[in-house]
Amino acid sequence: MRKGALKKKQRQLEELHLDRREALGELVLGMYVQNNWDDDLLARGSAEVVEVETELNELIAGNEPQGPSATEKDFPVTGEHRLPTAGQDYPATGEYTAEHAVPVTGEHTTEQPLPQPGEHDYPATGEYTAEHSLPESAEHTAEHAVPAEPKLSRAEKKAAKKEQKERERQAKEAAEATAVEPGPETAEAKTVVAEPGQPDTSPPSTAAPTPSATAPTPSATAPTPSAPAPATPAAEPAKPSTPEGQATDRPDAKKPLEVPPPPAAPEPEPTDPLDVLEKQITDSEAKAKTALEAAKASRQADAQTELTAITREVESGRSELDESLKRAAAAIAAAEEKAVQAEARLTRETAAGREAAAEWVRGQAAEIEADAALAAEMSGEQEAKPSTGEPDPVLSARVTSLEAELAAEKAAKEEALTKAAARLQEIEQSAKLAEARVEAAEAAATEAQSKAQAAAAPAADGTGAGEAEAREAAVNWLRGQISALRQEIAKSDESGKQEGSS
Amino acid sequence: MALFSRGGQTGRERRAMQDHLGELDDMRRSNLSDLGQMTVEMAAQGNFNRQRLSEQAAEVVKIDREADLIARGLEEGLTLQELEDLARGGDGSGSPAR
Repeated sequence: MRKGALKKKQRQLEELHLDRREALGELVLGMYVQNNWDDDLLARGSAEVVEVETELNELIAGNEPQGPSATEKDFPVTGEHRLPTAGQDYPATGEYTAEHAVPVTGEHTTEQPLPQPGEHDYPATGEYTAEHSLPESAEHTAEHAVPAEPKLSRAEKKAAKKEQKERERQAKEAAEATAVEPGPETAEAKTVVAEPGQPDTSPPSTAAPTPSATAPTPSATAPTPSAPAPATPAAEPAKPSTPEGQATDRPDAKKPLEVPPPPAAPEPEPTDPLDVLEKQITDSEAKAKTALEAAKASRQADAQTELTAITREVESGRSELDESLKRAAAAIAAAEEKAVQAEARLTRETAAGREAAAEWVRGQAAEIEADAALAAEMSGEQEAKPSTGEPDPVLSARVTSLEAELAAEKAAKEEALTKAAARLQEIEQSAKLAEARVEAAEAAATEAQSKAQAAAAPAADGTGAGEAEAREAAVNWLRGQISALRQEIAKSDESGKQEGSS
Repeated sequence: MALFSRGGQTGRERRAMQDHLGELDDMRRSNLSDLGQMTVEMAAQGNFNRQRLSEQAAEVVKIDREADLIARGLEEGLTLQELEDLARGGDGSGSPAR
């Protein structure tokens, strides 16, 4: 399909979409007024709107719609309006507005500008009543529906406004040129319509009859007339009736009738229908081109805005990622520092415990040596004693005191051993706690490392294992020392008993 | 049914009424379009909220009433003051607008 045809079809679809939405709104309004709701009818009307919307979206996306278009049901591509027949399909709402229908009674004078033939058809007589356009007197009653204006884009509105200004300028020039010969005030005075040499067949302009305000407003569901399509344009086609157009055309209608357009007019209006059609096509293409440029500019602006938004989003995401990475690195560093501190504390405690145990063992060894020397001295005295025959009372007292002293020392040693055992248990307990702390610190470090997916240095494991081995060796050594001490104490105890018994 | 003399209405008032009538028509079309769009959205959800539809339809009815009033004012040549009285139900026959 040609690009121009696609644009035209898109415009038709947009108009149809708006029309159907409004028709659906009218349907809802009617249900509200009658307080008679029909969900099925609403769903069908909605489906009609969605159908046009889908087709419009596909067209905008670049997909040519397959099958009969929804516009062909209401708007044929040729611009001719097919009157309703049994074979034609109409919206489910059943509404067929006067916008697309031929007026029923309709008188149409040259005072009222005709819409473009592509949108509306009129009877061949050229009659056009005030029902479908505001009368010249600008009276607008409840019976007269305001002519529906096609929803124009901003670019189209600008183009229409520009064109309107041009027409106003021409009209003003014509009015100035004809101001010398005032004539009767008729509708043919419109410079855009009047043509020299073309007889005026339309009746003189009179204000349209204004119906009573109490009359019911024309229903959009009114039966569609079956007037024939026009064979030839009844009057010179005019632009779509915009409010500005009406406002500017009305004063023109009061200009003198029989005054030809000034010779300085840019170009005469064509009378041949083909020329008229060609001019309309040219105007439509110009409008479409303007709209296309506006749409392109809008799309470009949208794309730039979207690109800027995406760039900002990416930058913010990157900054967030950097911050999270920094936090993870700080957590890893903190965990490693904790592990190092725990290791150092364990080392200090182990060394202190080892030193204390060694000091205590040295003290115990010195005492044991002293005891052994004392025992040897006592045994030497006992060996020397039988030679004298009778026991020396002084020596006996000395032995008794020594025995008492030895017993006291034994008791003190046992007490010290008990304390040493308790101290050893404490050391072991603290070592276990320190080991648990190290393990917890290692676990925290491992967890932090796994979170950041970075491999942590496994130095802590080797250090911990070495420390555990050293600690185990110290404990074993201490246990050996304690058992040796106990054996020595037991030996000295036995020897003391033997001495006591002897 | 000339309750008031047509001569009471000035040209400025008449133009103002015509402009306002055009605005009301634009507003009516816009509201009807919104109402249709709302109905389409409700149909897509499979549930018609009649309260919301009624609220929107009531807006359109208000616009219609006001447009009828303005049209009557134009037809009978009422001044703005007379139209205001009429809107407040002074005539006793018309429905109050807004």
